[in-house]
Amino acid sequence: MKLSKNLFKGGSNFPGRVALKLDSNVLKTISADYKVIVITGTNGKTTTTSMVYNMIKDSGKKVISNNTGANMLPGITACFIENFSFSKDSQEKYAVIEADEANLKLVTKYITPEIITVTNLFRDQLDRYGEVYTTLKKILEGIEKVPSSKLVLNGDESLLGDLGLANKCIYYGFETSLDSNIKIDVNADAKFCKKCKSPYKYNFLTYNHLGNFYCDTCGYKRPELKYFTNEIIELTPEGSLVEINNNQYFINIPGTYNIYNALCAFTIAKEIGIDNSVIFNSLKSQKSSFGRQEVIDIEGKQVKIILVKNPAGYDQAISTVSLDNRKINLAVLLNDNYADGRDVSWIWDVKFEKLSTLNIDKILISGLRLYDMAIRLKTAGLPEEKFIVTESYEELLKGLIGSQGKIVYILATYTAMISFRKFLKTKGYIKELW
Amino acid sequence: MNDNKYLELNICHLYPDLLNVYGDIGNILILKCRAEKRGVKVNIFNISMGDTFDSEEYDIVFFGGGQDYEQSIVSKDLNETKKFALNEYIQNGRVFLSICGGYQLLGKYYTTPEGEKLPGLEILDIYTEAGNTRFIGNTAIYNEEFKETYVGFENHSGRTYIGTLKPFGKVIAGYGNNGEDGYEGCIYKNSYCTYFHGSLLSKNPELADRLIKTALERKYGDTIELEPLDDSLELKAKKYILENRK
Repeated sequence: MKLSKNLFKGGSNFPGRVALKLDSNVLKTISADYKVIVITGTNGKTTTTSMVYNMIKDSGKKVISNNTGANMLPGITACFIENFSFSKDSQEKYAVIEADEANLKLVTKYITPEIITVTNLFRDQLDRYGEVYTTLKKILEGIEKVPSSKLVLNGDESLLGDLGLANKCIYYGFETSLDSNIKIDVNADAKFCKKCKSPYKYNFLTYNHLGNFYCDTCGYKRPELKYFTNEIIELTPEGSLVEINNNQYFINIPGTYNIYNALCAFTIAKEIGIDNSVIFNSLKSQKSSFGRQEVIDIEGKQVKIILVKNPAGYDQAISTVSLDNRKINLAVLLNDNYADGRDVSWIWDVKFEKLSTLNIDKILISGLRLYDMAIRLKTAGLPEEKFIVTESYEELLKGLIGSQGKIVYILATYTAMISFRKFLKTKGYIKELW
Repeated sequence: MNDNKYLELNICHLYPDLLNVYGDIGNILILKCRAEKRGVKVNIFNISMGDTFDSEEYDIVFFGGGQDYEQSIVSKDLNETKKFALNEYIQNGRVFLSICGGYQLLGKYYTTPEGEKLPGLEILDIYTEAGNTRFIGNTAIYNEEFKETYVGFENHSGRTYIGTLKPFGKVIAGYGNNGEDGYEGCIYKNSYCTYFHGSLLSKNPELADRLIKTALERKYGDTIELEPLDDSLELKAKKYILENRK
């Protein structure tokens, strides 16, 4: 039973696990023909992986990817096994690999990537990952094994500047601000200089602790950017129109965090020689990844599922929902299984208070920790008379269908998203689980 | 019941920019929300690096936990600018709530995994030593004096020994102060110390109200009755932990 469960789980790890048992060097052998691009960091891994994969594919090159979120060593190994062929061809082949932060060092033990990228570092499921400095240390251990890999790094992430590594580093970031705010939120991460412990100052902030930072005391500042967003033309619930290195692009998934993902993918694509026109078309038709702003039709309602897993990502999801000035409904699903993080304390670090300005009809609350979530939303000042607090997905669905307005945003933690999608499949609202 | 219209609470959040992991800020939001529902005006003061702490100005002080990096910054500042006044505040019996790192810092010392002895504020006669495993998980305790059950989530490698001080509660589920003596946290005068995140007050509304009531009574020298609130969500959230504790 366990075996079949594993076999049919999305992004199956099973073949990878078996292969690793047989030969721990297997990854080295089966990845030998590929130019490997590894994507790690707290948020944006799956979307960035998908964007880079699409850009390479659209450029006509051969490419594989583990783009189902199976980002531990067995899942990564499984991805290469599934695409393995005994016949050799001379064609240039790429593998775009999403890697969990702690698994990077296991990957670089066997593979020397062409490029490793780190998207950002935020507090994330502290019971599993520990603190941001611990996560950074784990990533650096992985990078130290491969000094010849090129690093593509978020320059607006103060933890990633001046890493003191032998690797060649390329930085991307924002050269334009979204608003006039230069004061970092009191509850953001990494606010103190990693070199001298003084508080950072900012020419501007984009979100959380990301932005054009500098330290007055020791002079540490944002590294020079090779690729940058130089203008934000329009942000809508459908996507963002921006200028990157002075050329206009439409990113077909909304939110500031997806501008960062697109910029990261752009940087990787440019570094491997992909043309602007390919990138342009690729970003314009970028589809959401599984559970990342995926849109489902339920009885004429447009239901968008957004995966949320830590305060920085949740705040970005709320900002993105806030772009919508129509009448909307919210469903908020909170689970506390291992993959979600057993500790749900982090919901108190999310600024749900921002939702109170929106035109919301119903607020549906479900998941294993629905009451914790209801208390959080109540404390944020959201009107309790709009709450439907229910453990039953049937009731949730009924409430959703019966709500006013055509738009529903579902904000769900990982296992809550999986189980709710399964439920929607049994109801015939979605066809494919993965 | 008294007319709460003229009542006011000054809540101080110590180092909110440095000690702010694990959603402990929720405790401040909940105290504010519950007091305001009773018509009490609430003022929040963020006191951090270089600021002086006035022991007469606040009615409730909250001191949370942080990451090691940030905690090392705090430790220096505390001893330089706030040690004396904080001691005075606590000895005067004002309401103080400290969680995890804040709890450890109130004691005599903390021994790191490398064996280094870091001095604490020496306000409480307790000490903490690093353990080689982390105590992580849902936890529940029973407070015999108040006959109340509290639930939360613990995540700490420090083992704290409270000597003759009164514990915050007897462990029903989880590890508690040190995984040995079966007790969690400590209470000294009106200072409550614990390892509970969660946020602590989100599922323990009795405790939130006890802090508010004590602070108001101490300030106004009168018996204060807090009008009951609908805590059905809070009690269901507590019940979930008690039924699924592991």
